[in-house]
Amino acid sequence: MAHHHDNDKEINYVGDSRVIEKKEKMVPKDYSEFPGKTEAFFPNFLLKEWMVAVVVLVGFMALVMTEEPPIGEQADPTNTGFLPVPDWYFLFLYELLKFKWASGPFVVIGTAIVPMLAFGALFLVPWLDTGKERRPMKRPITTGIMFLALIGTVALTWVAWDEHEKQLASLPKGEAEAKIVDQRDPAYDIYKNNACVNCHGQNLEGLQGPPLRGVGDYYKPKEIMKIMDEGKGNMPAGMFQGTALEKKQLADWLSKQKTGRKITEEQ
Amino acid sequence: MSENKQAKPGMSRRKFLTYTIASTAGFLGSGMLFPMVRFAIDPLLQKGSDTKFVDIGTVSEFGSKPKAVEFRIQRKDGWYQEKGGEKATAWVLKEGSEILALSPICKHLGCTVKWEGGGRTNVFYCPCHGGEYTKDGVNVPGTPPPKPLDVYATKIEGGRLLLGAVKERG
Amino acid sequence: MLKNAYEWLDKRLDITPMWRDIADHEVPEHVNPAHHFSAFIYCFGGLTFFIVVIQILSGMFLALYYVPDIQNAWKSVDYLQNEIAFGQIVRGMHHWGASVSIVMLFLHTLRVFFTGSYKHPREFNWVIGMSIFFVMLGLGFTGYLLPWDNKAYFATKVGIQIAASVPYVGGAIATFLQGGEIVGAQTLARFFALHVFFLPAVLLGLLGAHFVLIRRQGISGPL
Repeated sequence: MAHHHDNDKEINYVGDSRVIEKKEKMVPKDYSEFPGKTEAFFPNFLLKEWMVAVVVLVGFMALVMTEEPPIGEQADPTNTGFLPVPDWYFLFLYELLKFKWASGPFVVIGTAIVPMLAFGALFLVPWLDTGKERRPMKRPITTGIMFLALIGTVALTWVAWDEHEKQLASLPKGEAEAKIVDQRDPAYDIYKNNACVNCHGQNLEGLQGPPLRGVGDYYKPKEIMKIMDEGKGNMPAGMFQGTALEKKQLADWLSKQKTGRKITEEQ
Repeated sequence: MSENKQAKPGMSRRKFLTYTIASTAGFLGSGMLFPMVRFAIDPLLQKGSDTKFVDIGTVSEFGSKPKAVEFRIQRKDGWYQEKGGEKATAWVLKEGSEILALSPICKHLGCTVKWEGGGRTNVFYCPCHGGEYTKDGVNVPGTPPPKPLDVYATKIEGGRLLLGAVKERG
Repeated sequence: MLKNAYEWLDKRLDITPMWRDIADHEVPEHVNPAHHFSAFIYCFGGLTFFIVVIQILSGMFLALYYVPDIQNAWKSVDYLQNEIAFGQIVRGMHHWGASVSIVMLFLHTLRVFFTGSYKHPREFNWVIGMSIFFVMLGLGFTGYLLPWDNKAYFATKVGIQIAASVPYVGGAIATFLQGGEIVGAQTLARFFALHVFFLPAVLLGLLGAHFVLIRRQGISGPL
């Protein structure tokens, strides 16, 4: 400052601070001073923006007041009948891992390669699409890729959600911690020698399919036979391959699988 | 936006917009904060939980000499409840048919008083600052405590003594 | 009175230029829905920030009652939701706000993408924006575990297993997230710390940078 002392523009400070003393008061500019197609942030623009915020807040609070936030039972690591589901915005990734080419030995594709390519590309978009054109219709490749990615994501999310709903529908009814009733019954061998065991487990504990312990609380033999014939939820029709007599025996035995507890509403 | 009509009497357009913004901000702020603040101050507006009467023994156990009784009260602290209940103590004495159950918490700074403690006779003595109370729990003038000891509500059922909530005396 | 107090302060602290700079900067008309209704697509960025503010506030208030410990976490959430006045509303704001903020953020990202607003000279702000997106997803993932109900526990287990299958570094990431061998007490403590201290700090820093760059570069012109 000392080198460039300008007598016309003498700078005064407040005390020995670095704050410059003002000679004229700051008078707010009138918005009409802004020429052309712009407006002042305050108050014009901010007011409109906050009006939008008011609408959103009212809608949001209406949602909050009508929908109770869910809270399940306290976490129980030994619970085998529970269907895990991530929050909805991770579902697409979750579904991706169910594809054959993205699971098992290829799980790397699902967990690392595909997401890395997709998100890496998203990060680097400004350097992948370097043209000057900004209108989406004038850059069909970029827009097209984005649309495909969007459709893929939405479709994966939807499939995952749908599948989860179906699984929920075919869920327990029976309770995993219930005991197997009448283990010596020959029907148990019929069960083990059929495809049932692959999904419902050696001990009726449930694997991909729901556990069958306690299933008698919910179904009568006839209803069980109907499920064997027609399937339910994710279970395909005609899974039981034995004779009609065996089917009857098995259904009778399964209907004996009662917990003795009262039927409680599954949440 | 319509053109600014100049020289309108009263409020300028800018001032009007500023007030509108301030009220919008007020609405947004209170809409968000009202439930949260009410949530935060809920403990202030809770009524104290009812204390159940606890059986501490037969009435005949107590005489005119104050006796310390330990018992447990069931109280819920939010989501937490101590197994078996919280420990509590009372100095219990019987004068004629009158039963008095005193809280041992000194009214000076919350230490625990003892009957004939610190070598004093015929008083409750508080070791922290030498506070003294007479047998009926009234603070001895000239010692630090400003008030008499609190008393438990008492009840006799079938010859047994039950203690309830702690009450302050004038 | 108020004016004198302000002037007294202003004389010493010179605060007027700070807010005048923000208040008087010009905003182009093409982003204002009052002029062209289609401009509502420009609102999503601001709305994302608004929801983030709701998240921060409701989170702070929830922390008055929440305990990050496997014995008490679920009990404290159950207690604050069902026994405290407005508990359901405050937890609801935080729970639904998480989803709404992701939706808003997603729409904002799409708007920026399809209007080509990430192009020169705004490349860097796009990268910051994407980082914000990932931090928000991280907040969603860590926050999901905190109520410690079955859904939280098993979803986190699956999430960590997914992370574990990443080649080379997967095992390390999983152990880092779990803080031990299993999803348990240490995982909950860790997720809590990440959710309320680390990630919000990163988020605030990124948001600050995002806004400074917007002010520097202005909003991209009309199409």
